[in-house]
Amino acid sequence: MLGELFYIFIFPGFIFLIIFSLTAEFIDRKIYARLQNRVGPPWFQPWADFIKLLAKEDIVPAESNPKMFKVAPIFALAAAISAFLYIPLWKTDALFSFNGDLIVVLYLLTLPTLAFFIGGWYSTSLYSRIGSVRCMTQLFAYEVPLFMGILSSALLADSWSLKGIAVFYMAHPWFWLFNLAGFSVSLISLLGKLEKVPFDIPEAETEVVAGAFTEYSGRMLAFLRMTLDIELVTGSALLALVFFPFALNVHPALGFVIFMIKILFIVSLIALLRTVVARLRIDQMIDFCWKFLVPLAATQLLLNLMLKGMFLR
Amino acid sequence: MSQEEKIKENLISKFSYLDNSINLVRPRRISIEVGLDNFLAVFAYLAKDMQFSHLCTITGLDEQERLGFIYHLAGAGGVMINLKTSVPKAKPLIKSVTAYFPGAEIYERELVDLFGAKVEGLPPGHRYPLTDDWPAGQHPLRKDWRPNPDIGKEAGKDA
Amino acid sequence: MHNSEEFRIPIGPQHPALKEPEGFSVALKGEKILGVDIRLGYNHRGIEKAAEERSYIQDIYLIERVCGICSHSHSTCFVQTVEEIAGLTVPARALYIRTIIAELERVHSHLLWLGVAGHEIGFDTLLMYSWRDREVVMDILALVTGNRVNYGMNTIGGVRRDISLQQAQEILKAMDILEERTKYYIEVATNETTIIKRLSGVGVLSREDVLLLDAVGPTARASGVKRDVRVDDPYAAYGELTFNVITDDHCDVYGRTVVRVKELLESYKIIRQALKNLPAGPIAIRAPRKIPAGEALGRYEAPRGEDVHYVKSNGTEKPERVKIRAPTLANVQAVKHMLRDRFLADMPIVVAAIDPCFSCTDRMVRLAEQGSDKSKIISWPSLHAYSIEWHKKQGIDFSELNKKLAARLAR
Repeated sequence: MLGELFYIFIFPGFIFLIIFSLTAEFIDRKIYARLQNRVGPPWFQPWADFIKLLAKEDIVPAESNPKMFKVAPIFALAAAISAFLYIPLWKTDALFSFNGDLIVVLYLLTLPTLAFFIGGWYSTSLYSRIGSVRCMTQLFAYEVPLFMGILSSALLADSWSLKGIAVFYMAHPWFWLFNLAGFSVSLISLLGKLEKVPFDIPEAETEVVAGAFTEYSGRMLAFLRMTLDIELVTGSALLALVFFPFALNVHPALGFVIFMIKILFIVSLIALLRTVVARLRIDQMIDFCWKFLVPLAATQLLLNLMLKGMFLR
Repeated sequence: MSQEEKIKENLISKFSYLDNSINLVRPRRISIEVGLDNFLAVFAYLAKDMQFSHLCTITGLDEQERLGFIYHLAGAGGVMINLKTSVPKAKPLIKSVTAYFPGAEIYERELVDLFGAKVEGLPPGHRYPLTDDWPAGQHPLRKDWRPNPDIGKEAGKDA
Repeated sequence: MHNSEEFRIPIGPQHPALKEPEGFSVALKGEKILGVDIRLGYNHRGIEKAAEERSYIQDIYLIERVCGICSHSHSTCFVQTVEEIAGLTVPARALYIRTIIAELERVHSHLLWLGVAGHEIGFDTLLMYSWRDREVVMDILALVTGNRVNYGMNTIGGVRRDISLQQAQEILKAMDILEERTKYYIEVATNETTIIKRLSGVGVLSREDVLLLDAVGPTARASGVKRDVRVDDPYAAYGELTFNVITDDHCDVYGRTVVRVKELLESYKIIRQALKNLPAGPIAIRAPRKIPAGEALGRYEAPRGEDVHYVKSNGTEKPERVKIRAPTLANVQAVKHMLRDRFLADMPIVVAAIDPCFSCTDRMVRLAEQGSDKSKIISWPSLHAYSIEWHKKQGIDFSELNKKLAARLAR
C-alpha cells in the first residue's frame, strides 16, 4: 500500500514526473534554440516560468462558464499524469497492468485535448472558440494514424497490454525493427497531439492568439502548460515502450536510465522536426493525415499481419 | 518627336480645349489642367485609351478660394501625367474615379477627411485616416485649420 | 451577423500577428473568410501638415521619420523632388552614394520581411536565420551612416557623408557573405515542401487585378507586372547601372517570396557596380534656403514598392504642400481582394506578403519641440562604451556572461 502511494505520488509518479517533464521541456527548447542559432534558455527556465505563473492572478472572463473554465485544466493535468502510471519504466511491469491498458493510456492521452476544447469553448472568446474547434478537427485527423501505428506494434505482439507487448519483444528481440514505419507515423501524429509545429494550428499565435488558451492566466495556465509537458513525456514514453522495447530486463537502475534516454531521444526528434518545418493549414493537415499517414499505417498493419503469419504461428 | 509630344498631340486632337493647358515640364513629366466639367472625359480617355494604367495617388491642394486636386497617372515609359482640376471651396464636389481604378477609394477618402471634399460615387466604408470620433467640419490640411488641443477632449466626452 | 454559422473576429488594432496598429474585422464561416473590413489610420501623425510648418532642411529629418525601415526611401524621394523644383544638379558621387544606401536599405528590408514571413507561417527557424544575417547589413549601414535606421544621409543638393575606400571594402566583404547566405535561402524556399505548401496558391492577385487595384513593388512584380521605378523613371544613379527587374508568374505569396529573395541578389549586384564606378568629386552642392515657387512629383522604388512624393513650393523657406504616398497604401487595397474566400490561416501571411508598413501609410504625430540643444558630438563607439558603463553603474553587467558565452561558443 505504502509502496503504491510512493509510486503514485513521488517516484516515478507525480513529483518525479513534474521534474522530468520540465527537464524535457528544457531539452526541447534548448535544442530548438541551438538549431536556430540562438543561445536558448538556462536549465531553470521552465521552472521559473512555472513558478511565476503559479504566483500570478487567475482571471476568469465574466462571459465564461466559470465552473467548466476552471475544471478543464485540472482535468487535463490529472488525465495526463494518470496515463504515465500505466507505462512500465524499468521492467516489463508497471504499477497497474491489465489486458487492454494500452487502450486506456491512449484514451487518457486523448482526454487533455477534450479538456482543452471544453476550456476554450467555455471561455467564450472568439479566438478560444476557433482554437477549440481546430483542436477537435485536428483530433479526428491525427488520432486514427496514431492508434493504427501503435496498435500495429501491439498486433505483432498479440497483446493489448503494455506488459504483454514488453514481454513479447523481450522474447523476440529485433522484431521491433519491423515497426519503424509505424513509429514514424506515430511520431508525426504525436506532434498533432502535442500541438507542435507543423501541427500547432490550434494555437497559431499569428491567427488566433493562443487558441483555446487565450483567456487562461495564472495557475490555470500553468496547469495547462504542465499538461502539455507531461503529455510530451508520456507520449514519448509510450512510443519508446511500444517501438523501442529493448533493454527492459537488465538491472532496474540501468533499465530506467536507458528508458529515460529513449524518451529524451524522442523528445529531441520532436524538437528537430519542429525546427525544420513550417506550420500547415488545417485543411492541409487533415489531407496529410488521411492521405499519407493513414495509408502508411495501414501498410504497417498489413506487414505485421504477414509477419505474424510467417514467423509466429 | 518625343513620346511626351506625341501624347500632347494625341490629347489635343481629341480634346481641342486642352490646347493651352498641357505643359511638358521635363522628360517624363506632363501636367494638364482641366475644368471640372471636362475632367472625367479626359481622365477616362487617359486611363482607358492611352494606357495610363496606374493611378499613383491623388494630391489635394488648398488654394485660398478653391480646392485643387491632382491625379497622378503613370503610363508606359515612365511618363507621368499630373491631371489637375479644381473646385470652389464653397461647393467642393468632385466625381469619384473608383469606376476606373477601384484602388483609388482610399485616396479619395483622404481628400474627404483632410480637405473636406465631397466625392460623388464613393462606395460606403470606413473613414480614413482620421478617427471615428473626429468632429465634423474639421479638415486638418486646409490652410486655415490650426491644431486645437480641445478637439480630442470634446471627442472623448462624446464617447 | 445573427447567422449562427457566420461570425466576425477582430484582428487588430492590437494582435500578435500585427507589428503595428491597424484593424481588420474578418467575417468567417468556419475557417473560411467571407469578407474583410480594413480600418486604417491608427498611426496618423499629421506629418503632411507638420511639414508645411517647417523649413525644407527640417523637413528632410521629419520625413525620414515617416517610416523606420524605409527611412532613406522617403528622405531621398523628398530631396529629389525639392532639387527638381530648385533646378539643382546634384554631384554624381552623391547620386551614387544615395543609390548604395538605397540598395543596402532594400537588402535589410527584404531580409527583415523574409523573417517576418517565416514567423507568420509558423517557421521560426527561418526568422532566426534571416534576422541573424540581417545584422550583417545593419552593421554596414551603421558603419557607413552612423545609424542602423534613420540614416540622415540626405541633404538638399547631395549627401552628408562620404564613403571611404576602407568602408567600400567592408561593404564588398559583407556583400559576399550575404550573397552566399541568400543563395541558401533560395534553395530553402524552392525545396522545402511545407513552405511551398503554405505559400503557393495563397493570396492570389492576377495581372489584371494588379492594374485595377494599383498594386506596386514586389506585390505587382510577383504577378508578372514589370513595374519598377528604378527602370521606368530612373533616378539617382540607376540610369547608369545595369540590373534585372525580377518578375514572377506565380501571382501568389510564393511568387512574392521568390521575387524578394531574387531581388536581394540584384541589390548585391547594384551595390558592387556602384562601388566600382563610384565617381570622384564633391558629395554635395550648396542649396538655397528659399526654394523658388514651383511644383514637382518624385517617384522612388522603395523596398515595398513605389513611393510618391509631391512637393509644391511658394518661394519661401517652407513648402506650401507636401504629399506622401507610401507604397503600403497602394497595396493595402489589394489585400481585401486577396483574402476573399481564403482561410483564416492564410490571413497573416497574406497581409505580411505585401510587406505592410502602416506607420508609413498613416504618417503623422505632432513632434514636441526639443528644448535643449546639446552640441557635444559623441562618436558611436564612445556612446556604446558610455551606455555599457551607465548600465554597469545600475548593476547590469554583461561582461561575465559575455565571457561565458564566448567560451561556450569556442568549445
